[in-house]
Amino acid sequence: MIEFDRVSFSYGNHPILNALSFSVHEDERVAILGGSGDGKTTVLKLIIGLLRPDSGKILIDGEDITGKTEEELRDIRIKFSMVFQDGALFDSLSVKENVAFPLREYTGMTEEEIDRKVRELLRRVGLEEAIGQMPEELSGGMHRRVAIMRAMAAFEPKMFLYDEATTGLDPVSADVICKLILDISGQGGGFIIVTHKMFDAFRLANRFMFLKGGRMIFDGDRETLLESTLPEIRIFLRELSVDSNR
Amino acid sequence: MKKRIKEFISDLQDFYLLSYHGFMGVMRRPFYFKDLIEQMDYAGSGSFFIILLISLFIGMALSLQLSAELSRLGMKMYTGKIVGISIIREIGPVLTALVFAGRVGSGMASELGSMVLGHQVDTLRVFGVDPVKKLVTPRLLSAVLMLPVLTLIGDCVSLFGAYYIAVFVSYQSGTFFWSSIRDILIYENVLAGSIKPFIFGFLIACISCYMGLSTKGGAIGLRRTTTRAVVISFIAIIVSDFILTRVLLYVLGFSV
Repeated sequence: MIEFDRVSFSYGNHPILNALSFSVHEDERVAILGGSGDGKTTVLKLIIGLLRPDSGKILIDGEDITGKTEEELRDIRIKFSMVFQDGALFDSLSVKENVAFPLREYTGMTEEEIDRKVRELLRRVGLEEAIGQMPEELSGGMHRRVAIMRAMAAFEPKMFLYDEATTGLDPVSADVICKLILDISGQGGGFIIVTHKMFDAFRLANRFMFLKGGRMIFDGDRETLLESTLPEIRIFLRELSVDSNR
Repeated sequence: MKKRIKEFISDLQDFYLLSYHGFMGVMRRPFYFKDLIEQMDYAGSGSFFIILLISLFIGMALSLQLSAELSRLGMKMYTGKIVGISIIREIGPVLTALVFAGRVGSGMASELGSMVLGHQVDTLRVFGVDPVKKLVTPRLLSAVLMLPVLTLIGDCVSLFGAYYIAVFVSYQSGTFFWSSIRDILIYENVLAGSIKPFIFGFLIACISCYMGLSTKGGAIGLRRTTTRAVVISFIAIIVSDFILTRVLLYVLGFSV
């Protein structure tokens, strides 16, 4: 479904990705790992056309999206649902209005139907009580849960893109988010999660990519990753041993 | 140097495109009426009292200065006429626009800037919503609609302030003051004073939205954005006021 063909990208004079090539099928569960500034989030933004590569091709379902206009990209973007770091809820709208936003934009639902659908989605993540609250009143974990439900509200995406979905959360909230991601994935459809938390990546994904300095230094399954001798990866894997020693 | 010129031209091009698409958004579906009403409320009723207060004191100060100077020349009776022309043609529109840029323009820039930094603008794009149509067009329209209204109110309040000083401090005839004002309310003066707020409103909204949407670099970037939006709006108001005054004087047949 997603194919990167020698994609390079830079912010001004600062190169981020260097001739990156990979492909991901829509039912895969992929974790993109790497340090800060190694281009993990950039990859997600390139997939849905929020950024344009300097060179190379990005194919979605065989269609090159690199030259597409914003209007043309709409059809590509509805194939995905992206959840940004911190949720990116609209802070001028209540929880209800945030979740209702795509429903109002894309469906001809009545107010009653919207209300019912929003409540149903929020009930699923245990946040029905928060329906009238503003984003600033929510905790980090609640933010992400509302954002995930908002992403699910109007479309039936082929794939979810999660940007640091569990970063900055306490272990309990991170656990809730991981369960939610697995629950959604269990209903069909894969995902790509960008993270630097190895423990969550192992829990969620079955394919791992590791970015370093704009290049992919690893792409493989769990077992191969655990056996990797690359020093960058070994540093990340230490998190797992710390966790198992607890 | 060459790089800076290139960047400046590229910024200018982006600014032009944003202004064009923001303006053309008025004629394209979907129409975000709720956002427009919210923005009009923020821009209009939110700025009402500050403009009322500033206009009142500017009118009083102007009347005081002119009364003092003109009485030395024995021409105190012209206070109303000179104050009226100054306020309606020049001070009213410019002053209201400056206050509007300081309050509403900075608010637009910081709000959009924080939306950019919080990925809310990207989220709109992911949902297939045109951020220019959703965010810029209502702000632009609200500024173009509300600034002329605020200018009109500001002008009236300034004239009342000037009247108060002329009559109760400088002991001039109130009837003569108002008849002087009535005399200057001719088509040319009113037109010269009422075209400017539309142009200023458009410039303030375009500059502020452009600055807001091009925010980079966290809290410091946001501070830079807001400051730039206000400073550039101020410069744009003053420069465009001079150009508009020159053009309007020529078009309306005033000799300089």
